[in-house]
Amino acid sequence: MKRKSFLIDTTLCTACRSCQVACKQWNKLDAEATVNRGSYENPPDLTPQLYNQIQFIEQDKGDDLQWLFINRRCMHCADAGCVKVCPSAGALYHTKEGMVAFNQDKCIECHYCVNGCPFDVPRYDARQKVTKCHACSDRVQNGLAPACVKACPTQALKFGDRDQLIAEARAAGKKLYGENDLGGLGVLYVLDDQPGTYRLPKNPAIPASIFFWKDVVKPLGILGFWGAVGVAALHYVTVGPQKFDESDDPQHKGGE
Amino acid sequence: MANYVDRFNAADRILHWIVAISFFLLMLSGLGLFAHTFFGYFDLFGGPQQGIMVHKWAGVVFFVSSVLLFLRHVGETCRFDADDRQWIAKLGGYLSRKHQDIPQGKFNAGQKLYSIFAILAALVLGVTGLVIWDPTAYSRELTQFSLMLHGLFFTLSMVGMVVHVYLATIGNPGTLDGMLYGQVRKRWAKKHASKWYRKVAKD
Ligand code: HEM
Ligand code: SF4
Ligand code: SF4
Ligand code: SF4
Repeated sequence: MKRKSFLIDTTLCTACRSCQVACKQWNKLDAEATVNRGSYENPPDLTPQLYNQIQFIEQDKGDDLQWLFINRRCMHCADAGCVKVCPSAGALYHTKEGMVAFNQDKCIECHYCVNGCPFDVPRYDARQKVTKCHACSDRVQNGLAPACVKACPTQALKFGDRDQLIAEARAAGKKLYGENDLGGLGVLYVLDDQPGTYRLPKNPAIPASIFFWKDVVKPLGILGFWGAVGVAALHYVTVGPQKFDESDDPQHKGGE
Repeated sequence: MANYVDRFNAADRILHWIVAISFFLLMLSGLGLFAHTFFGYFDLFGGPQQGIMVHKWAGVVFFVSSVLLFLRHVGETCRFDADDRQWIAKLGGYLSRKHQDIPQGKFNAGQKLYSIFAILAALVLGVTGLVIWDPTAYSRELTQFSLMLHGLFFTLSMVGMVVHVYLATIGNPGTLDGMLYGQVRKRWAKKHASKWYRKVAKD
């Protein structure tokens, strides 16, 4: 199976938020009460009921207000930090299209995954189970486009074979974010400015502590435990125990 | 019981076994979170959610009892003298079969170091454990660092525990008596803790 990807061209986005609504509809996610924060951006962040969100980057340019929009969601990393830290195999997993989906029946509610994610994506629902964009794995398996992509009126959101999307963008002279990071992201962005302006890490990577925990401490820990058991056993059969002569107790004169 | 000398009173012993039991509960309930290979250990507790629950509350018991245990022995364990330095230089005589006479107090230098390591580990595991009690409560960086430190001190504790258990049981016959019913053989005391023995024999 060829790896699939989203291609999100932020220059085409009008912030209509059809994608937010279509996702809620397909995934049966409830509407949420929000407050007016003096911005059209709404809600302000991903929530357990919101798998994708249009972020407004509002730039004050003298008399002008410049708006940048970006559709934020799970990036479907090939080298996914969430999968790395999840203790329950199969709760988060790569589909055969290379997207990162989840199985709530296997989720043990530990809430580790958001800490492994370089993009702060996973959220936890009322049952304390993991939720996030799963690339409409149910639709894609049946040959349909993801709901958000289908709803997007400007084709800012596209979904398809990763190689082909990259080739097309290159041919159109567009620079891509996420082509090679973390083994290649499953969400490629065409940006109108620096990644930092969109609050994206310039070089996304698994957080250093998480890498050290899972790739150094864990293997060395297992080795260390059995090493200690081995050393103790070896000591016992070579040097041997520190015995004391029991028959020679100070007051031990011919039995008690 | 003229062959025996008192070593630990009932409070010492009960506290030690509370620390030990809570430690093994933590180990068994934590392993499932540590690596996929050990996920099956959660079955001992009736499932992952129940295992995590046991882990959290055993953690509280372990932390409090570790602090109390440390405070009970702190007078003996945090002072090192020339004999202790000699013990460390000779690695306690553990590398040779020949008996080496290194005068030691109630605890030898290795035991002192272990008790200091144990309280340090309990503090680190306890503080990081509180941070990751709810892994969405604090900043991501603090939570990530705490997860790493918790795993690191878990593995260090496992190695320390294996060495401790070996030396307290088959490695040094007669040692376990003290922690089981409070008394050790006088012969044992003369060999392992001669300075302490001279002191208690006088009283
Ligand atoms: C000092 C008291 C301790 C407290 C308060 C504590 C608390 C916690 C908490 C809250 C968690 C996360 C559970 C969750 O995900 O909900 C955890 C994980 C874990 N704990 Fe502890 N714990 C303590 C001591 C220990 C000890 C002594 C061990 C070793 C026997 C241990 C081994 C583990 C392991 C292996 C994990 C899985 C995460 C990792 O690999 O680091 N803990 N602990
Ligand atoms: S909350 Fe669920 S999906 Fe996330 S790491 Fe824990 S078990 Fe895995
Ligand atoms: S963006 Fe985060 S949640 Fe999505 S696959 Fe990558 S690590 Fe996992
Ligand atoms: S792919 Fe599906 S789950 Fe993901 S944001 Fe779009 S509609 Fe929502």
